[in-house]
Amino acid sequence: MTPLLEARGLNKCFGQLRANDDVSFSIFPGEIVGVVGENGAGKSTLVKMLGGALVPDSGEILISGSPVILHSPADAQRAGISLVHQHFNLIENLTVEENLVLGRPELRHGIIRFKNLRPGFLTVAEDLGTHIAFDARVSTLSVGGRQQVELIRALFHDPRLLILDEPTAVLPPNERDRLLRFIRLLKERGTAIILISHKLDDLYDCCDRAVVMRGGRVVGTSDLRADERAELIRLIVGAELPPPDTRHGTLGKALVSVKDLVVHRDNGTVAVDRASFELHAGEIVGLCGVEGNGQTELLQAMAGMRPVQTGEIIYAVGAQRMANADAASLRRVGVAHIPEDRLHYAVVAAFSLTLNFLLRKLSKPRFVTWGLLRRQAATKATATAIKHNDVRASGPRARMADLSGGNQQKFVIARELGDDVGVILAGHPTRGLDIRTVVAIRNRLVAERARGVAILLLSADLSEVWDIADRIMVMARGRLRGPVRVGETTLGEIGHWMTTP
Amino acid sequence: MAVLFITALLAATIRLGMAIGLAAIGEAASERSGIFNIGIEGVMLSGAFVAAWGSVRTGSPWFGVLFATLIGILLAGVHAFMVLVLRINQFVSGIGMVIFGLGFSSFAARLTIGAKPTSVHGLASLDFGAISHIPIVGSVLFGQSPLAYIALVLAIGTGWVINRTAFGLEIRACGENSEVAETLAIPVKRRQTACILFGGAAAGLGGAYLSVVQVDAFVENMVAGRGFLAVACVMLGRRKPVIALLAALGFGLAEAIQIRMQTIYPDLPYQFLVILPYVAAIAALVLGHSRRRFSPI
Amino acid sequence: MSEGMTRVIRVTIVLVVAALVPSLFVLMAGHNPWRVLETLLLYALGPQGWSEVLVHAIPLTLIGLGVAFALRGGLFNIGSDGQLIAGAVLAVFFAPYLEGWGIAGLLVFLILGSLGGAALGALVGYLRAWFGASEIIVTIMLNYVMVQMISYLIRGPMQETSRFWPQSYLIPENCFLPVIVQGTRLHAGLFVALIMVIVFAVIQRRTVIGFVSSVLGANPGAAVYAGFRVKMLTVIVMAISGGLAGLAGAVEVGGIYQRLQDNMAEGFGLAGIAIALIARLEAVAIPLAACLFGIFFAGTGALQRELALPFPLVWIIESAVIFAVAAVQWALPNRKAVA
Repeated sequence: MTPLLEARGLNKCFGQLRANDDVSFSIFPGEIVGVVGENGAGKSTLVKMLGGALVPDSGEILISGSPVILHSPADAQRAGISLVHQHFNLIENLTVEENLVLGRPELRHGIIRFKNLRPGFLTVAEDLGTHIAFDARVSTLSVGGRQQVELIRALFHDPRLLILDEPTAVLPPNERDRLLRFIRLLKERGTAIILISHKLDDLYDCCDRAVVMRGGRVVGTSDLRADERAELIRLIVGAELPPPDTRHGTLGKALVSVKDLVVHRDNGTVAVDRASFELHAGEIVGLCGVEGNGQTELLQAMAGMRPVQTGEIIYAVGAQRMANADAASLRRVGVAHIPEDRLHYAVVAAFSLTLNFLLRKLSKPRFVTWGLLRRQAATKATATAIKHNDVRASGPRARMADLSGGNQQKFVIARELGDDVGVILAGHPTRGLDIRTVVAIRNRLVAERARGVAILLLSADLSEVWDIADRIMVMARGRLRGPVRVGETTLGEIGHWMTTP
Repeated sequence: MAVLFITALLAATIRLGMAIGLAAIGEAASERSGIFNIGIEGVMLSGAFVAAWGSVRTGSPWFGVLFATLIGILLAGVHAFMVLVLRINQFVSGIGMVIFGLGFSSFAARLTIGAKPTSVHGLASLDFGAISHIPIVGSVLFGQSPLAYIALVLAIGTGWVINRTAFGLEIRACGENSEVAETLAIPVKRRQTACILFGGAAAGLGGAYLSVVQVDAFVENMVAGRGFLAVACVMLGRRKPVIALLAALGFGLAEAIQIRMQTIYPDLPYQFLVILPYVAAIAALVLGHSRRRFSPI
Repeated sequence: MSEGMTRVIRVTIVLVVAALVPSLFVLMAGHNPWRVLETLLLYALGPQGWSEVLVHAIPLTLIGLGVAFALRGGLFNIGSDGQLIAGAVLAVFFAPYLEGWGIAGLLVFLILGSLGGAALGALVGYLRAWFGASEIIVTIMLNYVMVQMISYLIRGPMQETSRFWPQSYLIPENCFLPVIVQGTRLHAGLFVALIMVIVFAVIQRRTVIGFVSSVLGANPGAAVYAGFRVKMLTVIVMAISGGLAGLAGAVEVGGIYQRLQDNMAEGFGLAGIAIALIARLEAVAIPLAACLFGIFFAGTGALQRELALPFPLVWIIESAVIFAVAAVQWALPNRKAVA
């Protein structure tokens, strides 16, 4: 039997970087193949080539035995391939049906009569088991709802091959189960499915076999037998990683008290609805929840970047006691903040590393006297920080934009943390980074905890939270549940909290 | 007496607001696709001159209007090239366009029609016969220049295309999120170019309105900030052509009131009245603000 | 083709096209573009012209500095003309009280000019920061407003004593900026401009306010993260920008006009934008760009006399320069870090 799709020797380079190096694999109708690898392994590039978003430098793609050249997503769609991206291609301010029409070029002609198109969309939606208001704006939908829209779009013309890129990354446990059940349903109908993920559980829960990628190459395959799990992890991660730091801290006094906090979004809606909790010295508290339920705003308010509507955030760090302070004052008393969105908040891409370093150091007399910058001192300090934190850069004069994401994040952490820090607010500090940097950052947080620092860790990765956090709290629709000790709850309970406010 | 006053005021509102309105309709389409053209002041100036020149040279104001539309498209094409191909900052390009319009219109005017006073054949208002004689409504709604009716049709038509057609949907996608639109295989640059060119044509028409309808002459710098008022109208109208046109009529009303007040209160220094539309624009921007954190302008 | 080669070709294309556009208009007016260039250069480097070039370069430098400072902060200040008028008005208003104060009076005069422009700039910044009102539109609107205001003042409350001419009273002599080269109009405002260039060069590279405002322009989110008070910063940046234009107003009155009159700020604001862009927002490069435009402004008189080419040719040249400079940035993408 000929495979439905076969990739032979695909290569793709971006400048110096070899994103895909001689990648080959095949998939048969009705198969679910998982493509697994850590961030930076080359999975996204492969997916984009199969989906027509990128053209390979060399190599072939064969559909049912015949070679095809996919110049565009439209070509891929015509070949029967549908792709659901990791970051949804939805336009927030347009309605669901407008987005559906935009996603299908063959529908984009002349006058659009949504009334005539709705029955078609409805059939696909019912198939999926979804109920979505087609005239609702996408901005009003939850993350799971938006994924449903993407799926409807992808399934509209009965694709033979469906490619899902990191579909479970943003889903709470019960919605993830629903998605996996649906994937198995598609399999029974003969659709082939490629599931891209960096999580092992996704593979074991629904894939028939797995292809492992690392450093742009296919390094192995697996039939996903239960006893092979350790071997599989070794394949994915490659050489030995530094051992994870597992020290615990001694629980100290409460350094942060949040009382009845209410925070609004930019558009005026309530993001945080009367949250109350405490953060103690020597502990890591994980903050989890489905994206968009107020965690971002909570962290921003605690970091002084967003005004507090009502309620209090009291910091009792060192000798000071501050309530509802601003970002600059907070850093002065030792409250460090690693922002969620690095490019928008943490760094200035066009500036040099030295200038980025100065960004959070303007209150230190070592770098500023009488309103004048002391550039030499700053350059030297930057060079030291780069060296001691394994930041791969050509020097303090390097441009921030020229650094990789992992190195940028290491720089941000190097700049932000220090001996004077008593509290760390970390927003998704390891998101999207390669495994080596992820372990380094986690170890750093654990080390800080051992020193007696209080850490609030906002993370979408429940396994990460389970690994290093002492307590966990969940935000759903702005309401806070917990914190509870990690040992006293289960993944199921947390997943339940994430979806019921 | 009061009836006559109100009638005249309303008619003047439409007459004085139409130049701004035409430019606003085009700019609304352009901004809807995601590109600002703050240079429409310069396009309007060029259009005003070209329309006057065309009217003088050919004896027909309609040729002037045609030429003005063409120059509007040409100048907008330059802006589109600068912004979409060379990736120049759209505000820098717009400012360059304003300066060019100032220079071109004055320079060319002094060398051709402006050297000695020449009368420009104006566009006659349409005569709808009996309907025009209905009190109030008649002269206000049915005694306007053809360009005013064109503006109305244009506003409604543009709004309809944007909201009901696939072409308009794609344009909206470009304006909301051009990266996603790109991945959805929408030809973003083509759609934006179409909107920018349309905006230029409308601005040219707006300029033509000034020299061939409102004043029947070309005076240097006659646009006097109306192009920027048009941009303000688009902001106030949230990029919807019909609402932007209404906002433009608001400025027309301010202008009409200001003129009348100069005769009613001759002791009041006229300068304080002349500034009325400009102050109104500032007030409108302040009062009509929406809560956006980091806006592009 | 090597990367260096493509760059050279691109820059050449840009410069040629930029020179072509004004040349086209010159040709249509029936003249030879080379003659225009020749006339301009002869005048600018000649005995009468060079001082006039500098006379025009003085306010252009100050305004260029102001526009560049605002642009670094991400703000488009198109209102230098209006701010110049505001500064001139405030300075002239209080000038009679400064009689007999000697050189201290001149300093106060100049400071008042800065304050007038700064007040207008601060207003714009306030409306932008608190209400999201586009500073492009507001500054342009205020330009028109200020033109009318000065028109009213010089025909009314501040008019000269004979009540005949549309101009204000004369300022006291100690507020004059003395002529520094006999036989020309070149006045001590030149020193003011040069001092400000040095001040702003230092501000840009070495001060906190310079750093903080460039962060605001480069990434407003980073400014929020770093704890800068973004709203206050917007007001301060616009105030400083307006203050420079206001200073230019006081300098023009003190050095050239010695009173208020119509048309004191003939398009300096728009020229200031072109100057700031050519100088790539670097304070040290601004006086050079200002001299270039000084050549255009001063030279059009000569062009009008000898070739009967109307003054608005300056605008055409200016717009060509703006597009050319912006296009050159396309031709030479800035790879180096801002350090």
